[in-house]
Amino acid sequence: MENIKLIINFLGQLLPAINITLIVSVSSIILGSLLGLLLAAARLSESVVLRVLASVYVSVVRATPAIIMIFVVYYGMPMLFNDWFHTNIDGWNRMYFVIIALTVLFSAPVSEIMRSAYESIAKGQMEAGLMVGMTPFQTLYRIILPQAFVVALPNFANSVINLLKEGALTFTIGVVDMVAKAQMIVANNSGGYAWQTYCALALIYWVISLAIDKGVSQVEKSYQAKRKTIAV
Amino acid sequence: MLTIEGLKKSYAGNDILKGISIDVNKGDVISIIGPSGSGKTTLLRTMTTLEEADGGHITFSGIDKDFEKLTGKEVNTIRRNVGFVFQNYNLFNNKTALQNITEGLIVARKVKKSEAEKIALKALERVGLTDRKNHYPSQLSGGQQQRVGIARAIALNPEVIFFDEPTSALDPELVGEVLKVMQDLASSGTTMVVVTHQMSFARDVSNRVIFMADGHIVEQGAPKAIFEKPSEQRTKKFLTDILANV
Amino acid sequence: MSLNTDFMVKVAQTAIQGVPVTLQIVLVALVISFPIGILFALIRIYRVKVLQRVVQFYVSLVRGTPIIAQILIVYSALPSLLNMIIGRAAFAINPIYYAYIVFTLNAIATLTEVFRSALQTVDKGQMEAGLMVGMQPRQTFWRIILPQALISALPNIANTTLYLIKNSSLAFIMSVKDITAIAKTEAAFNYNFLEAYLVVWVYYLIICYAAEVVFYLLERYFSKYRRPIKKTSGFNWLPFRIKQPKLERKQS
Ligand SMILES: Nc1ncnc2c1ncn2[C@@H]1O[C@H](COP(=O)(O)OP(=O)(O)OP(=O)(O)O)[C@@H](O)[C@H]1O
Ligand SMILES: [Mg+2]
Repeated sequence: MENIKLIINFLGQLLPAINITLIVSVSSIILGSLLGLLLAAARLSESVVLRVLASVYVSVVRATPAIIMIFVVYYGMPMLFNDWFHTNIDGWNRMYFVIIALTVLFSAPVSEIMRSAYESIAKGQMEAGLMVGMTPFQTLYRIILPQAFVVALPNFANSVINLLKEGALTFTIGVVDMVAKAQMIVANNSGGYAWQTYCALALIYWVISLAIDKGVSQVEKSYQAKRKTIAV
Repeated sequence: MLTIEGLKKSYAGNDILKGISIDVNKGDVISIIGPSGSGKTTLLRTMTTLEEADGGHITFSGIDKDFEKLTGKEVNTIRRNVGFVFQNYNLFNNKTALQNITEGLIVARKVKKSEAEKIALKALERVGLTDRKNHYPSQLSGGQQQRVGIARAIALNPEVIFFDEPTSALDPELVGEVLKVMQDLASSGTTMVVVTHQMSFARDVSNRVIFMADGHIVEQGAPKAIFEKPSEQRTKKFLTDILANV
Repeated sequence: MSLNTDFMVKVAQTAIQGVPVTLQIVLVALVISFPIGILFALIRIYRVKVLQRVVQFYVSLVRGTPIIAQILIVYSALPSLLNMIIGRAAFAINPIYYAYIVFTLNAIATLTEVFRSALQTVDKGQMEAGLMVGMQPRQTFWRIILPQALISALPNIANTTLYLIKNSSLAFIMSVKDITAIAKTEAAFNYNFLEAYLVVWVYYLIICYAAEVVFYLLERYFSKYRRPIKKTSGFNWLPFRIKQPKLERKQS
């Protein structure tokens, strides 16, 4: 009972820092999806060079721990910018580095998801669309993408949850997000109530993950309903 | 040898078997025919305890009991003394043709491995697949898989072997090889109960034909009688329909 | 670019001592979570009363929270918990044991889901065939169903392993002397962080690719058991009872 009260109290202290988590996650999701789209296009393209480059990129990212990606971006980018563009980016908001690292991490699985969703739908549907007189672009936009979206959704949500969890490493380069906040609270209590604090932290992430899952199954359901009404 | 009385089965309130009684004697080759959905598969599955019966009595290999009262041990006895050949073969995918046959012998019958292999090879020879003994199911054609399925059943030397449409998942050109094996079994005196849509098998190989519809046995008798002078209107209609389609 | 290559060579030499530590964590976590994952998957499949709720809750909790939070919780709660049981000795425990615990707990959740879906891909006919040659449900499960499920689970087990390897890079937070920890210490002397992490990165790439090769070979070795042709029915074999399991709304 005492513990629950403590956890609720810590929840209140941690929640204000949720901003950082949300900003980092949402930006990385948007940027990572765009990058993923480009990668998927590269992997589906005619050019061998593009295909090879994209698949090497994906396989390297797949084998890279999030923390290493964050560190390499954080320590490497300023050096790169210094050498190549003679710009000093040391003063950047550290969040930018995390966003860049997470964007890279997110783009790899997302490109795979997009590619396989596209491939699972494209074959017959494109031909069917062209046959009824639509242009390739119309077919893509009106027929293939909506279906591919439904196919990709569950896996996409899974990747989003992964991204959210990897984003919890933001604190490692000194951004004060919820994790950093939790550690501060523990330090302020001279190490006391540590597990209650971290449980509060975990709880917040859990609720966000559950909400994402819930949202996805809601969207899936509405799509299924649509399909049925069309079928009748 | 095997007697079933008043066998009943329903799914979710739908009566599928409405009191079936069958008498199987040693050496019988019984064909069960009937329209789709009449309960033929369900009948085989409940008789062999793959599916729980809702009512009925079984007399078989020392057991004389109502289905609901069977103990786990008696269920085992029944399973050990019947063979089953499945419509879609159901070979163990992670075992070779030979291992598919030895598996039951070694694990369930506690036969020594070398002995089991001898028995299995003999069974494979009967179905003409000795050269495929080390192939996995995925490396065999449908007809070959079904022949291994039959070999697996006969190797255990059961009192009766049940076949559920053993050829209906096969491409037409593969049906012949399986029917041939079954015919050989029948002429060697194996007791068989066969659900089939192959009217030629029912007419030419079996010694009794059972016509089922709507969870009842409509009529049964010698193939000649059923095919030439069916006494029930339903049988007549079923046969003319099915023979017209061949 | 001005990378200090001498330093990188030096880090590479010292950090290599962390490789066995990383591998140890991954292997211990995999080996312990493997049977527990199978058990939990069975609990879910057979909808064992109460227990299945617990497993479901556990899986959802682990899946929905960052590994860093799990590390912080275990690393803060466990020592004091142990302190109550075994006294001061609790604080002398090698931190690698905490790493084992965290990553095992984490892997159990993932593998539970992996095995659950793998077991459900095995056609129920396999169990029936086993029963009809006189084998017990239990025997059929061990000899026929489980081997097939494991083979079909291989790609997902590979994925789980990859995640484990990558996540183990956080063990340094529990003061485990793994690759990352060693490199970090080296780097802190003269602020060559980039060089140190590039070396660590290469090590992880090598370990991950090695793991992928191992799984690729396993998959190729076992591919002959696979049946590409056959479709399996929606729900599946029902080893310990004759009744069909009730169809449940899919949830993940
Ligand atoms: N597990 C089950 N749950 C609910 N209903 C079932 C189940 N199995 C069979 N049925 C129903 O029982 C009826 C009889 O099925 P059965 O498979 O025994 O027919 P059949 O005579 O073998 O048909 P076919 O010739 O098509 O194989 C069908 O209406 C079927 O829908
Ligand atoms: Mg049938």
